[in-house]
Formats: sequence, C-alpha cells, structure tokens
Amino acid sequence: MKSGRLELKGLVKEFGKGQEVVRAVDHLDLVIEPGEFVTFLGPSGCGKTTTLRMIAGFETPTSGSILLDGKDVSSLTPDKRPMGMVFQSYALFPHMTVAENISYGLKVQKLSNDEIQKRVTDVLASMSLDNLANRAPNQLSGGQQQRVALARAMVVQPKVLLFDEPLSNLDAKLRGQMRAEIRSIQQRLGITSIFVTHDQDEAMSVSDRIVVMRNAIVQQVGTPTDIYRAPNSVFVADFIGRSNFLKVTDISSSANGSADVTSLGKTFTVPAHVDAKAGNSLLLVRPESITVSRQPIAGKISGEGVVKTVIYYGEHVEYTIDTANGEIVATTSDPSPAEILAVGEKASFSFEANRAWLLPKA
Amino acid sequence: MALKKHGAKFDIFTKVAIVAVVAIISLLIVVPVLSILFESTKPTGTNVFKSVFSNPVIRGTIKNTVWLGISVGFFGTLVGFILAYIQVRVEFRGKKILHILALVPLVSPPFAFATAVIVLFGRSGIISHDLLGKTPMLYGYPGLVIVLSASYFPVAYLNLVGMMRSLDPAIDEAASSLGASKFRIFRTVTLPLLIPGITSSFLLLFVEAIADLANPLVIGGDYMVLSSRAYIAINGEYDVSAGAAYSALLLLPALLVFIVQRYWSQKKSVVSVTGKPSGQIAPIKSKVAKAPLLIFGWSVAAFIVMIYLAVILGAFIKILGVNNTFTLDHYRYIFSGIANDALKSTVIMASIATPLAGFMGMVMAWLIIRKLKRGADALDFLGMLGIAVPGTVLGIGYAVTFNEPLKIGGITIIPQLAGGGAILGGAIAIMMVYTIRSSPAGQRSGIAALQQIDPSLDEASASLGASGSRTFRKVSLPLIKGAFLTGLMFAFARSMTTLSPVLFIATPETPILTQKILAESDSGRYGPAFALCTLLIVIVLSVMGIINAAVRGRGSTEFKTTLVAG
Repeated sequence: MKSGRLELKGLVKEFGKGQEVVRAVDHLDLVIEPGEFVTFLGPSGCGKTTTLRMIAGFETPTSGSILLDGKDVSSLTPDKRPMGMVFQSYALFPHMTVAENISYGLKVQKLSNDEIQKRVTDVLASMSLDNLANRAPNQLSGGQQQRVALARAMVVQPKVLLFDEPLSNLDAKLRGQMRAEIRSIQQRLGITSIFVTHDQDEAMSVSDRIVVMRNAIVQQVGTPTDIYRAPNSVFVADFIGRSNFLKVTDISSSANGSADVTSLGKTFTVPAHVDAKAGNSLLLVRPESITVSRQPIAGKISGEGVVKTVIYYGEHVEYTIDTANGEIVATTSDPSPAEILAVGEKASFSFEANRAWLLPKA
Repeated sequence: MALKKHGAKFDIFTKVAIVAVVAIISLLIVVPVLSILFESTKPTGTNVFKSVFSNPVIRGTIKNTVWLGISVGFFGTLVGFILAYIQVRVEFRGKKILHILALVPLVSPPFAFATAVIVLFGRSGIISHDLLGKTPMLYGYPGLVIVLSASYFPVAYLNLVGMMRSLDPAIDEAASSLGASKFRIFRTVTLPLLIPGITSSFLLLFVEAIADLANPLVIGGDYMVLSSRAYIAINGEYDVSAGAAYSALLLLPALLVFIVQRYWSQKKSVVSVTGKPSGQIAPIKSKVAKAPLLIFGWSVAAFIVMIYLAVILGAFIKILGVNNTFTLDHYRYIFSGIANDALKSTVIMASIATPLAGFMGMVMAWLIIRKLKRGADALDFLGMLGIAVPGTVLGIGYAVTFNEPLKIGGITIIPQLAGGGAILGGAIAIMMVYTIRSSPAGQRSGIAALQQIDPSLDEASASLGASGSRTFRKVSLPLIKGAFLTGLMFAFARSMTTLSPVLFIATPETPILTQKILAESDSGRYGPAFALCTLLIVIVLSVMGIINAAVRGRGSTEFKTTLVAG
C-alpha cells in the first residue's frame, strides 16, 4: 500500500488564556488518502494555516490527534515528522547557496556525500535549476526562489508535502505557471500534498479535493466540481466563483438529489442539496449559465428585466440586469456586436433548469 | 538607505542645510582632529612616532590598548549575545526586568562601575577581602576587562536583540521541517545569520574600549593604554605635542575599526530575503538548554544590581564595608561646595547642547535619507565622527585648537573658546563637545525613522508647491518627532555622562559633574563619589522619563530606534 495517509481526528486549536480564548480550529475531522492533493481554502483567519501548522508540528493541538499511516504523530516535534514544507516567504537560508539549501535536509539525514550529490543534481535538473546551483537566494527571482524552496522540501522524500500560500508573493502570470508545475510534479511523484490558499482559482486548478473553511469550521469538503456546482451553503457558493440567488416560492417535492421548485413564476425540476427545504432555500444560478437576449429563449427558464450596466471584456460581455428578483449578473461568451444589448434596454435572461442548484441558505 | 531618491535639483533650503551642517561638523570635529595631526608633527610628537618601533614602553602601550579592545569586544559581545538570545528565544518570568537591567549601564557614568567594583572586589573590597579573605589582582587588565565589558555590553545586546527579532521565523521552521534539531538549527542557521551583528558589535565595543579614559585612570593601575598615556603626557608632563602624537596613534585604529564596522553592519541586509515573516519563533522549551542560559542571565543581572546598590547605598554609608553606619555626610559634603556649581553648569550646558544635537541629527538624517544621492554615505560618516573619534582625542584636539583665539591677519575670527581665560569660562567649547558627541544618536534614530516613512510623502508636499524648508518642518519633522525625542533622550544622557574630552578642556569657572566624580574617586573619597553618581543617574533618568512621557503623551507612532553606543 502507498504510504502518506493522513488522518485528522477532532482537531481543536485554541489561542489565548482564560476569558480571551479564541478557537482557531474547531473539531476538524478529515482523512487524506495517499497521493491526494487537498487544498484548504478560506478567507484569512479561517483556521486553514493553523491547521497546516498543526500538521507540520509548529503548533500543538489543544485537543484531537493527527495520524500518519495509522501512527499518532501529534506529540512529535517538526523535525521528527516526515513532512516537507514550502513557506509563503520561501524561507530560503540566505547565507547558503541554492545547492547548500537543497542539501541541508540530506545532510541532516547523514546521507553519504555521493548520495547527496546525486540527489541534489537530480532535483536541480528536474526543476530546471541546474545553472543556478551556486547562486545565493537573493540573486534569484521570486519564481526561482519558489522552485528552490519546493526542491528543498521534495529532495528529502517526505511522505507529505505542505504548502503555506506558496504562490501569494508571485505575480499573476508566474502564479499560473507555478501552480501547474507544482501540480504536475506532485502527480509524478505521488506525494500526499496539502495546500493552503485564499485564492479560489488556485484551489480549483490544483486540487483533488478542496476543504472550504470559515471561522474555524469546515464548511464543505469536495472535488472542485462538487464545490463549484453543488455548494452546500450560500457562503461556499459566494466564496467560490460568482453567484445569482433566485427566490424560491415553493418546493413541491424533492427526492434523489432533485426538486420541483417554483421560481420566476414557473415550476421546474432542478438538482438540489439534501438539506434544501421549502422556506430555507435559494436557487443558485452561475452568471455563465445565464444567456441575455432581447427575446426569451424557448425551452429555457427565463425572466425579464432592464439592462443596468454592460461591460465589454472582448471574449465575453458582462451584464447587470435589474429584475423583480433583484440584480442579476450574467456573462455571455463570444458576443457578436449586434447581439450586445444597450443600457436601458428591456432584456430577457434565460438558463437551463439543470444548470441551477437548489441550496439551503445556511 | 534603500529608499529611492530622485535626482531632482536641490532647492535653496537643502543647499543651505548641506553647507551649514558640513561647516558645523568641520568646526566641531574635523578641525580639532586635523590640529592634533598638525600638532603631533612638532619635535616631541615626532619623537613618539619615531620610537613606536624602538621603544618597548610605547610598543607595550599600543599592545595593551589593542589587547584590551579585543578582550572587551569578545566578552562584551558574548554577554550581550547570551542576554539577547534569552530575551528573544526563551520564555520566562521577569523578561522585562532582565531587559531593563541589561540597559541600565547605558545611562550611568562609565566609571560608577569601576568605583563600585573597587569597593566591592578591590584590595580591601567588601566581597573580596571581608567575605572571601582574598586580595585579588583587580587593578590593571582584569579589572579593566570586567568593568568595560559590564559597561558596554548593552550596546551589543541592543544590536543583537534587534537583529534576532528581524530574523524570519519561517527560516527556523524550514530547517526544523527538514529534520534539523534545535541545536543544529542554532549552529547552522541562527548563528551564521547573526555573524554580521556579532562582528559589528565586537567592533563597536573594541572602539569604545580603546577610547575609554576614565576607567583606565580609576582602575587601570600600571596597565598603560594610549588614552591614559596621552592624558599623562598632557596633564602630567605638560607635553601637548607628545599627547597629540599618542592621540593620533589612538585615532588610527579607532577610525579604521569604525569604517570596517560600518561595512559589516551594512551587510546585514542579507538577513531578510523576501516575503513577510510569518508567526513567531517557537521559544526554547528544553530545560537542559534553558537552565544554564537563565542562570547566566540572572547572574549578570545580579551583578548589575549589586553594583548599583553599592553606588546608591555607598552614598549613605560612612565607609562602605569598614564603618557601615548610616550618614548624610556625603550629601552634605557635596552640596556644601563641589556639587552645586558643577550640577548647575553641567545641567545647563547639557540642556543647551541636547536640542542642538537632536536638531542637527535630524537635519543630517533628512539630508542623508531624502536629499543626497551621491555623498549620502560620506555625510553619514562625517556625522558619525562624533562617536568614531575617541573622547580623549577630541578633548586634546579642542585644547590644541581653541585654547588660543584664531586670528587671520590680526583680526580675531574665533575668540578663545577653551581653557583658562576663555570667553564664558570655556563653556562654549564644552557645549560644542556635547553637541558633536550627542548628535550621532539623533542622526541614527532619525535615519531609522525616515527609512520607514514613504518618500512619496515628501514628493507629495513638493508637488503641492511647498518649499524644501516647509516640507521639512510640516511633513518630515512631525513624522519623525517620536524618533527625535528618543534621540534627545540619549543625547542628554550622553552629554551628562561624558568625561574623557571634558578632562582636557574643563576650567575652574565651569566645573563638570563627571569630572568632580573622577576627582573624588581618584582621591579615595568613594562616599562623595557615589553620592555624585547617584545624583547624576537620578537626573538622567528623570529627564529620560519626562521625554519618554512626552513621546507617549503625543501618541506618536512607535519607532524602532537604532542606538549607537548609548
């Protein structure tokens, strides 16, 4: 069996004393399978970094335990845990060259010089850092420093790789490049990886599963598709991507993950969350699921309104429509100039019933 | 000095400011130093130079000076390092107290330590003789090393605390997650990263040690160093040229080391590479590591407390250790004559010099950080000369330069400023010394503060049509007010406790407190010496307290101030 199975059981972390106790992580239970790439996503202060630091050993859990391949590692200090960490600030040793940085962990393991040499050369080559081996960290660009930090963490062959917002100091273009690189290396090596970020694009593009956190509590755990298409709360829907919430006047029947709802004066069948009940639910429709046109589109659910704003982005147009349901945001891809509506024009907005999602308010 | 400066042309205010500070610094320190070099080329001076290699006595003096500097540099840095490490990396009760005790030696007259050490550990010292029945060889090298290390280690301590706090905790964590033990991290990461700070502390202490004059006079015994040799040449042998030559010999290593130190302290930019530091470094929990560190830390604290208790109590006791009866005689004695005038004139002169020094320091900082591009380093160096040039050298320089009026073509340009018969009893020369010795403290705190303020604020003011002087008064100065007041605090403390340069230029009309303490202590009247020390400490602490309260009362932003040599 592959190793690197991580189990978090009832993990709690409190900071402060007496009356001033703040709970940063509240009863977190999670199993991460070997080779899985799991991302903790949430706004700042939600407890995601604290969770990561407890897994690494830099914070001691107030209660609960952390199991690696069935063994409790909660009481081990960070240097005794077979985990590698990539830091937000990279934390390269400024007084060592790139090669010295990368060989640091190998020297700690007391490997032979030949073995160290070989592993360092290999990892430098695989990360295209060969010609930078003798540079000092402050002579490197942000992206290069990031690669060295990753190489340094990987070369000791840890069972788990931990990433603490590693891309937040890079510019947008490099960020995209690096996350693709991290993902492909991780898949090649099959190392269990845990990634912390507040950037939903990052989480969506690299993860096998995403753990959405808010105020110390896990909101939802699921694949990127689950999280985006079937969020379990307004918070998750809003945090990942953009959302329109339509009022639902009646839910007539619900079963097998779908429900008959009445909204916009029509009754239709939509996919639904199990907890969505009459009176507490909203209908989520993503902006890209909505088509804006002058006439209603046959076979789709549609409503009416007046165009409030039009923003032209080139590859798509974004509309805000004033409706009886409040403002609705819609994006239309690849618009031809003649099809673009003007501000003040009467508009129809339409969507396929199976693209909507019925979810509980909280 | 990483903030960008634009190559705009200087406005009138900037030009005037540059010319003014350069002129003032030239008059206050460059000319006196050059006069020494000139004076030392006279016959008795050149004799000293000629015999440096042939005369074993002079060679011995030079060797003693360098060896003392190295020893104090080593022990002072070691003590400062351990205390800083405890402060930053160990959790324990009484952390604040230990911090304050470690800073106490900064504000006391340097030889209060020497006098107290003699009374406690000297030939008939309370602890050495009465308790242990021993007569240790305290006078000379061992006493000097103990006293100077104890007096100056706070400089290393402050330097290293600042540096340790600025290390990114993630660097330690990275090493830890790569499997390194705490001790391995200390050896391979923490220590190497602190080397620039350690080196620069060592060099600062080296300069302080070789520049010191008071302690070699009080506790040096037969261990002759260049500063005490120069003092004897002038005050004992009345040979100014020889004194100037010894000063020149002292100036050389002092300036050299100072320049090297500047180079090292600028290298510390290597510490933080990128990104923002995350979290705090996990404190040391292992009892095996904690216990010896804390025992050492509290021992140093106990030693400091003991010294100051001896000073404070000694002032109320007939003869400490011999006749331990309570008395107010010492205070009666000092207030009956020697203290009143000295107290008044010292406080007045320090109070005049302090704002001048503070203002000059701020103007210097502003020019260095905001205005000058090329030449900023040179101006910074010029401003720091007040610390780099040993007090002994400065004092002799003043005696040589200002004991006669400066005349060009029969017209008096500068009247006689120092020595007997000088105008205002030589007070002007003393205030000049105070100013130039204290302004570096203001300059350093001003630079530290300005570096944290966005330079575009200045540019915004200029683009709104404000002149250079208006920008300085209305934008820069208010923003660095906190640093300005902190600078004042240390400037005042430094003026009040300055001794070595004063010894060469004080006159009977303007008695100085520190000089009186030395005189009392020299003639074995330790009680009155302690009473004067206590008085001096009380004044310095009260003024610091007032300034500190003023800083907080204004609610200004708290600035980190870099302290240089107290």
